[in-house]
Parts: sequence; C-alpha cells; structure tokens
Amino acid sequence: MNEIGGVPLFFLEFGDIVAYFSPFTLTLFLLALVFSVFVIVSRPEWQIDIAFGADAFFAKEISLPELRFRRFMAIACGLACMGAMVTGDVFDFTLFVSLVGICNVGIVAAVRTYHVQDAAYQYGLVALAGTVPLFSAAAIVAATTGTLSMLELASPAAPAVPLIARALLVLGVMGEGMAPFYAAKAEMFRAPGAPYVIMCSLSSLLIFLRVTEVVLLL
Amino acid sequence: MAWNEYSFGLLVVFLAALVGFMALARERDDLHKLLLVDLVEGASIAVIALLGTDLAEALILPGLVVGIAELLALSQLYIAKEGLAGVPPRGLNIEVVQKSPATVIIPGFLVVYGIVLSGFTGGGIAALGLVFYFMSHRFLGDFHVLELASGISWALWVAAFFVFMFAPAFWFLALMGAAVGILLKVITKISLVGVMWGEAE
Repeated sequence: MNEIGGVPLFFLEFGDIVAYFSPFTLTLFLLALVFSVFVIVSRPEWQIDIAFGADAFFAKEISLPELRFRRFMAIACGLACMGAMVTGDVFDFTLFVSLVGICNVGIVAAVRTYHVQDAAYQYGLVALAGTVPLFSAAAIVAATTGTLSMLELASPAAPAVPLIARALLVLGVMGEGMAPFYAAKAEMFRAPGAPYVIMCSLSSLLIFLRVTEVVLLL
Repeated sequence: MAWNEYSFGLLVVFLAALVGFMALARERDDLHKLLLVDLVEGASIAVIALLGTDLAEALILPGLVVGIAELLALSQLYIAKEGLAGVPPRGLNIEVVQKSPATVIIPGFLVVYGIVLSGFTGGGIAALGLVFYFMSHRFLGDFHVLELASGISWALWVAAFFVFMFAPAFWFLALMGAAVGILLKVITKISLVGVMWGEAE
C-alpha cells in the first residue's frame, strides 16, 4: 500500500471495517488517549478576573453538575477523536468527524453565558452544514470506486478517487472545526473550565492532521 | 466522462444544496437558520441515497442519526440561549382532538402496524402514533422510564451487532435481537422527541 503514514503495525478488524495503526495514526491515537485521561483525572480550573483600578478580583463559580456534564462531553469528544484517528473506512471517518463537531458544541453548551452559548450555536450551524460536503465526499468515493476501505483505496490497483471527492472531504472537515471556520470557536475558548475547553482545540488539530493523511492516501 | 443518471442526480442535489446555502447566507434569524441548515442536511442524505445500493441504505441510517443528533443538540442550545426553558408549552387546543376517540384508535392502529413491520421503519410508524397520542392527550407519566427503555433497547441492538461480528453462526438470534432492539429504540426515542417540550411546566 501507499505508505504515507508508515507501515501499519497492526490491524483491528470489525467485519469488513478495519482500523489500522500505522506510526502516524498510532501517534495521533495516543495523543487523543493521553489527553482524554488527563481530562478524566485533572481538576478543573477556577477562572479569576482581576478588577482594574481596584484591589479586587472576581472568581467565577461553576456548579458541579455543569462541570460533570462538560467533563462527560470532553471524554466523548476524546473517544470520537480516537475513532477518527485510526478508522480505515471513509464513511466512518466522516461520522467520527461530525461527532467531534457535536461534542465540541456540547462541551461549552452548559456554560451559562449568553455570548459563549451564541458562539457555540453559530459554530454548531457551521458544523451541521459541514456534514453536507462530508457525507457527499464519502458517497462519491463509494460511487466511483465501489469501496470505502482506505486500505483498498491506497493500493496502486485501486481506481482513482476524483478530485471533487477529496475537495469535498477537506471542505467538510474544515466546516467541523478547522480554519477559517475555526474563528467561530474563539469565543468558545473563553468559557471557564479548562482543561475541558482545550479539548475543542486539540480535536480540531487532530482531525486536521488525520484528514491530510486520508486525502494523500486516497 | 459520460453523463449518466447518477451525474444528473448529483447535479440536481448539489443545485438544491446550493439554493439552501444561498438562503442560509441571506437569513439573519437564528431559528430560521437552524431550519434552513436542516433543509440543506436533506441534500447530504440524498447524495448518499443516489448510490442506490444496499450500502446506501446502510449509510443513510447513521447519516440521518448524526443529523438528528446535531439538530436536537442545537435546538436545546437555542432554547437555553434565548432563555425559553421556562416558557409554558401550549398543547393542541382543538376540540375535536381533545374529545374524539380517534386520537386513541389511530395511534393504536399505527403502533400495532409498526410492531408487525418491525425494524427501523416499524419503529418510525409506531412512534408516529405515539407522538400523535401524546400531542392530543396530556401524558403525566414518568419520562425517565421511556428514556431507560430506549437506552436498554439500544444496548440490545449493539449487542446483536457484536454477535454478527464475532459469532456469525448465531445470525438468526442476532437478527431478531437487532430488529426488536431498533424497533423499541426508535419508538421510545421519537416519542420522547415529541413530548420533551411538555416537560417544562
């Protein structure tokens, strides 16, 4: 096969859907795994605002159920990322990526601040619109080549994937949280509650790295 | 490349999506934007459906589920964002709907027919009956029981798929498990969607 991400170390088969661990995908998988473990064990921050012109500060209080919900969504986002990193099926990849999009919205949805919720909502609209090119890309890959397996598509004998399918795939992933739509997330990062909020940016980075591999592989 | 039915279908669907996106670019109201995005989402399901194979049928289901999940998440977010959570819901204030026995007979028929059909389609039809029933009657029961039933039947569905993967010899058992699991899951889930707005009283 076309060894963009190194020789696969081992394959995990679920019927005809094969997850593969090459040095590249394994590294990304471990990164998502380690950060998910951090999210589980770490204690959330207390965000402090310094009041200018006075010797005072405001501590933002966040209720425990809210933090629990956010931690749950951050762990779900980590799981979706891990899936997107190692899956060997184009359609599964698009599903995992849109799952990452929903989880990103979910992480900040519990924040009781209007502008954060509004930013999350607008970003969610972009993410929802992003599923159109994502699923279209997977469907066109299946229609032109007859398979969705990345391992089969990577072999030199496989029929060529049309450029439009790759372009739609990249466009769809962009909609789920990469630049330039990433700008819509800026207000979301201001939400109190690190390290959970950082999962939003880490997941974007990871799916960006993986989609480059997928596009080069096809 | 030659133009065939698939290419023309693709062209029509992409034109439809383009019209949707143009409307989206002009719309300024948040709620209407959500509705338009859902309309555009229909185009992505249509692109998958154009494959016209069994695979397409298998891919539409997760595509649809992801779309509905995003739509539900965003509508909850909209309710929280606009502070609509405390607004009392209004039922169907129609005399015929409130008094007529048809609001029990039609849902009963739909539920029985849905169970006979089984699977995803049956679940959808039975759920439609339940949604109609809940809309016309005030249901004061415990919704957590419905949520629990939905979760357990979903687990049954997933377990059946593990049997397909790891013990294919028991495929018939797995098929029955998956059919009943998805039937119960879809019935409970969609009927919950229909009544969730009645919770805020």
